[in-house]
Amino acid sequence: MKKTFIAALLAASALTSTAQAVELRMSWWGGDSRHLATQEGLKVCGEKHGHVIKPEFTGWGGHFEKVATQIAGKTEADIMQINWPWLPIFSADGNGFADLNTLSGQIDLTQWSADQIEAGSIQGKLNGLPVSTTGRLFVFNKTTWDKTGLALPSTWDELMAAGPVFKEKLGDAYYPFEGIGLDASLLITLYGTQKTGMPLIDPATNKIAWSEADMVDAINYYQTLVDNHVIPSWKDVAAAGNVALHENPKWASGEIGGTYQWDTTYFKISDPLAEGQELSYVGLLSQDGQKTAGIYRKASMVFSISANSANKEAAAQILNCLLNEAEGVAAMGSARGVPSSNTARAALLESGALKPEQVNAQKLVLDATGPAIHPFMEHPDVRSAMQDNLELFAYGEIDAETAASDIFYGIQEALDDIK
Amino acid sequence: MGGESKYAGLWYVAPYVIGLLLFTAFPFVASFYLSFTDYDLLSKPEWVGTKNYEKLFSRDRTFDKSLKVTLIYVFTTVPLKLTFALFIAVVLNYRLKAINLFRTAYYVPSILGGSIAIAVLWRYIFADTGLVNMLIVSLGGEPINWFGDPTNALFTITLLRCWQFGSAMVIFLAALQSVDKSLYEAASIDGAGPWQIFRNITLPLITPVIFFNLIMQTVQAFQEFNGPYIITQGGPLKSTYLLPLYIYDKAFKSFDMGYASAIAWVLFVIIMVLTLIAFWSSKKWVYYAGDKRS
Repeated sequence: MKKTFIAALLAASALTSTAQAVELRMSWWGGDSRHLATQEGLKVCGEKHGHVIKPEFTGWGGHFEKVATQIAGKTEADIMQINWPWLPIFSADGNGFADLNTLSGQIDLTQWSADQIEAGSIQGKLNGLPVSTTGRLFVFNKTTWDKTGLALPSTWDELMAAGPVFKEKLGDAYYPFEGIGLDASLLITLYGTQKTGMPLIDPATNKIAWSEADMVDAINYYQTLVDNHVIPSWKDVAAAGNVALHENPKWASGEIGGTYQWDTTYFKISDPLAEGQELSYVGLLSQDGQKTAGIYRKASMVFSISANSANKEAAAQILNCLLNEAEGVAAMGSARGVPSSNTARAALLESGALKPEQVNAQKLVLDATGPAIHPFMEHPDVRSAMQDNLELFAYGEIDAETAASDIFYGIQEALDDIK
Repeated sequence: MGGESKYAGLWYVAPYVIGLLLFTAFPFVASFYLSFTDYDLLSKPEWVGTKNYEKLFSRDRTFDKSLKVTLIYVFTTVPLKLTFALFIAVVLNYRLKAINLFRTAYYVPSILGGSIAIAVLWRYIFADTGLVNMLIVSLGGEPINWFGDPTNALFTITLLRCWQFGSAMVIFLAALQSVDKSLYEAASIDGAGPWQIFRNITLPLITPVIFFNLIMQTVQAFQEFNGPYIITQGGPLKSTYLLPLYIYDKAFKSFDMGYASAIAWVLFVIIMVLTLIAFWSSKKWVYYAGDKRS
């Protein structure tokens, strides 16, 4: 009887738990609010499932290189926050990360829609679960705009007209908007996409969809924004050194009146604002005769599990806890935007953890129209082709035609090189 | 010497030798092999012969720009830093009050020098609204765009490196203190002034140390990374895009480790050639104790 009891106990323990208490690592990028929320999430989920999870977090800058080096050396964390466009870079055949379909015993995959599961899959293997859907939106410092007496813009023309008003009423230091580097690239991409109705790179053909004339037109429009005191010049912004928008004192003080950012970065850009400043999302500016709103929408960061993890099941338990279980969801809060997981979204809405601005921004992203985005739009070589040539143009080293031609050459070369 | 003590020495040097083999020699050899491959970090390297080098020298405008910027940086930074370090060492060689305090204070930047925090601090000091521009404006001048103007940006990075003159200064100071004082007394009796003494006695006698510092600082300058990476990210217009930044971007952003290795080897050859030139020229200007030249 005693032997039977022990055997039954052993069998039961083998069936009920395949994930013993283990030590795991999780890596992510983000700002302070995300760091705090995620550490709290790891703490409560670790306690619940009996695992210890070491956090590894950084800012956005350099995180891609860090993850790339770790994956190349097979020393990556068990659970990773991965940018959606990185999936095909790290996992061209779908085997670069653990296939989460095989861990459906630990993760409740029914909380995501078929489209969301598809977005995280490569060649049928679920490489990452979308944490939220994100898109670039125009967001303005309403407090600064109110000082000018202008209503927040809904069209490019209104934004253009605001430049001289800002200069006259608030002084040379104040601008209604900003955009250099990546932001300049994406603004130009948006303007051209609205006008042509096509993405810059067609995901169906892997080829550039625009003509060079389309690119020249978009670049020239960007320059008009600079000339009209809407956007500070590249050279003037560079005078502050390599500083991100949310670390820029001019953003915190309200001298910069607006920006074009991911809706999931709400806390990152709102936290540093001086007391009393208010942010407001307006969606996407429109232009006469546009063919699409041109939303740049994608699965936001995904949570993946390392293909090399020795504890995939334990990692899956933690991942499920962070994204689906009440304790983890409550701790993680809205630091990564409005969750994609149905149960998490419902829980946060019910608890009031989601700020109305976040819910509103998410609705704007989901409701807007736009062509599908090619993940290689964020490939480092494609970005470099855009930004390097736009910088040359912004400094007056080359004209718009040369910039467009060199951008196309650089993007095509990058697309040819990408395996 | 017994058998036990014969092998004890090997044990003592083993950690260093193992570290050297694993972390220096192996990557050194591996990078040479990788420079002839197409290697994206995530899959196996594919042999491509000299393709990387051909691309580098025939149609890579970024490499041309980066190499030019690197050479300007090295040929500006090294003489400036050595001159400044020597000047401060000469000043600190005098018997002043609280001289040890000054010596320590001047060495502090070198202790902090390579850190990310100092690069960030530098960014704030020279930012458009930073301390330097505040001083300029308070003196009635116009603020300067240090980081946004391509001609100023490299100078700002150069200043950061020159500011970290402490290690070179300490070596100079040690050399100055080892100069035989009787030579100074003899020169003074013969009517030589301070400049003549410095030029004809001090300088020749410390040429071995100048040579040592020249080699070390040149090698370090060619490997500069933290300053431009943190402060300007190589911009604007790649005016601070030194070769180590390009190697890093190619290796870890573009996943072109083969190409990055090729650039690294070109950089190595440049450093080696310049070092050999320095050694060759040293026969003409470096004087060692017991040297028979007059």
